[in-house]
Amino acid sequence: MDVRSLLLFSALLRVLLIIYGEWQDAHMEVRYTDVDYLVFSDAASLVASGKSPYQRSTYRYSPLLAFLLVPNSIIHPSWGKFLFSASDLLVGLFIHTILELRKVPENLCACALMVWLFNPFTFSIGTRGNCEPIVCAMILWIIICLMNGKVLQAAFWYGLVVHFRIYPIIYSIPIILVLDPHCFRYGLKPALSSWVGQGNSTQSIPSTAVPDSCGIWIALTSMFTRARILFGLISGAVFFAFTGLFFYLYRWEFLHEALLYHLTRTDPRHNFSIYFYHIYLHYEHEFSVVERLISFLPQFLVQLVLIICFAQDLPFCFFAQTVAFVAFNKVITAQYFVWFFCLLPLILPWSNMKLKWTGLSCILLWMGTQTHWLTWGYLLEFKGKNVFLELWIASILFLAANTFVLIKIIRYHTYSPLFQRLEFSSSDNDLREGKKSI
Amino acid sequence: MPPSTVSYHMESWQHVQVHICRILGIQLIFLVGFGFCMSSSFVSCEVGRCTSNVGSTNQSLNIPPYFEKYITKSYFDKYDSLLDSDFLDFISHELFPGSCELLLDNLNLVLRLSVQQRSLIGDGSHRHLSSSFRFNIQSELIAELPIHFCEAIIIEKLPYGIFADPFELQHLLQRGVFMDAAVFGDTNLELPSVHSNRSLVEVHMDVDLNTFSRHKDGLEINIDLPLHIRYPPLEESGYSSIELGAPDLFMRCSIEAKSHNQSCLLMLKDNGVALGNGPVVWRVPSGIKAHARAVSIVTFISAILSTLSIVLTSVYYSSTKLCKNLKQS
Repeated sequence: MDVRSLLLFSALLRVLLIIYGEWQDAHMEVRYTDVDYLVFSDAASLVASGKSPYQRSTYRYSPLLAFLLVPNSIIHPSWGKFLFSASDLLVGLFIHTILELRKVPENLCACALMVWLFNPFTFSIGTRGNCEPIVCAMILWIIICLMNGKVLQAAFWYGLVVHFRIYPIIYSIPIILVLDPHCFRYGLKPALSSWVGQGNSTQSIPSTAVPDSCGIWIALTSMFTRARILFGLISGAVFFAFTGLFFYLYRWEFLHEALLYHLTRTDPRHNFSIYFYHIYLHYEHEFSVVERLISFLPQFLVQLVLIICFAQDLPFCFFAQTVAFVAFNKVITAQYFVWFFCLLPLILPWSNMKLKWTGLSCILLWMGTQTHWLTWGYLLEFKGKNVFLELWIASILFLAANTFVLIKIIRYHTYSPLFQRLEFSSSDNDLREGKKSI
Repeated sequence: MPPSTVSYHMESWQHVQVHICRILGIQLIFLVGFGFCMSSSFVSCEVGRCTSNVGSTNQSLNIPPYFEKYITKSYFDKYDSLLDSDFLDFISHELFPGSCELLLDNLNLVLRLSVQQRSLIGDGSHRHLSSSFRFNIQSELIAELPIHFCEAIIIEKLPYGIFADPFELQHLLQRGVFMDAAVFGDTNLELPSVHSNRSLVEVHMDVDLNTFSRHKDGLEINIDLPLHIRYPPLEESGYSSIELGAPDLFMRCSIEAKSHNQSCLLMLKDNGVALGNGPVVWRVPSGIKAHARAVSIVTFISAILSTLSIVLTSVYYSSTKLCKNLKQS
């Protein structure tokens, strides 16, 4: 099945699901549409009538999302679902583009694409009205821009996506590191390392190799390259520009609901995180600074080590970081899984993991521990049974499953830096690779 | 496919992608500008008050409470939180300053209330409070009163730990389940009991006294109110019991006067008829304080073990791959 047919079939599936969702909402007690979609729609209708979207309680997103959904009030309430599903398909297109640029064979591209397009979790999330596909599309577009040497574009979209969702801030250091002067020259298209078959790594030596003591000063000063400085400045400027604009419009409500809430969020209600019961049991007193730091330390350490080890293999680094970020977060909801599902197809062609039986065991373990958690969650929330302890143990098992799966993926991954080292002539002006990019 | 064809297709595709990017960028700028224009005239409003007034548009500060669309709105204009004693004072001194004494006396003769049934339907954290109220009507007197229109107003003062979702109520309004409904007080849907305040639900139901006066059994009003539970404070037993008190019932009638129609508010008290099935109690699972220490220790040990596993695996396999690369080069 070629890519065009896959995308067409996926588009049809999503349209049918959206139509079915409208029917279910009108005729059944349990709605198909996500509660969050109602929040976005209410906020959008407030914006359409000239009011602040933050008058809608639990709206904790950038006003941009409400602006995007204004046609919900003008054209049709399902406009947002079509927009999110279109972003979902765009993610598929971008996955194919990235794999094609790295010369992955067409059959592997198609398989990897199907992992995204036909993942039940993926196609339900956009059609139910969740906005995560937009974020995923932006992140993949940033990777494409970097692969094409378009640093300014990548910086713009990166600043925008961090404003929109905050969590992509974890990708800042790997992006800066991958703009290695040995691989990336501003204004020129970098040489991409191609897929060379599973089990064989590329020839280039990772640029994160430790320099000798005499070259440390040189290494430090060479870190500040034009590409890196421009990326940092432009993305920072875009982030602060959007943040400043919406602060001007909506004041502290915007700052608190869209930004500060996410940075300080501790939710005592049950969720997949191992911390939920600990937070609930200690909610009556404020957490001390030491307690907050201790709970942040695992997250910080894992992110740091993953960046140091895998930054040059950018898609893999993004994937591993996202899995770890979600697993160690204080609050985990099912929509966060999309953040790494969109990156999974980018690393599959470089994985030596066989579906039988390692792959299957990872899938079954991850889904099994999730189902186990959901069972206890159902008993607590819908049957009123006191199963807090069992639910918390289920969340620990889910963390163990996430850790196991991540370890297996690291173990079977063929490390492949995104960019090849550039070769320079003695004049340093005559590059042998690539052509000028915008 | 020959490399030149591949590179041609790739270049064309890259041009298309640049075009898509430009279109998306222009649309983004347009949307931001559009949103800026729309927002330049937005009404500044406190979130708590605005979201608690589903469908309310009454901005006047000088209208007596019994004339306002929602009679309890002015309570929260004056008080920060819901206290039973303050609410009783509010009912006595602000809801009934007296302008319809004659009508109210007559209505008291005409209507007799008996609360028939009240129960919580469902299990778990999301249930429905089902209430049924019966009014006995003296039909021969009702026709003599200059009543234009009546509505029953039911006020549920929710205890700590129980809340109603104003957006869910709005959905029910759109479906015509209630004539009007609003939530006042603490409408934060996410906080546990410990950090939240009480709230109050005001529901309006249409009542046609003339139609119901022809029925021998009188007037019956049934209300099914969806309610949700907050995480309760910790308990040794693992369960917390929350009792729902009786509602306050009012009848507001619009009467025909010479120059204009006038609203009269009547508070309906039960005849001392006991509730068919006793007080309504909601039993909620709660965290057990004795678990606190063990849960904290095991949580952090689990986090540390997971961290160490990932860190060691990453360092080991990235060094192995680095050595392999160096050997190959």
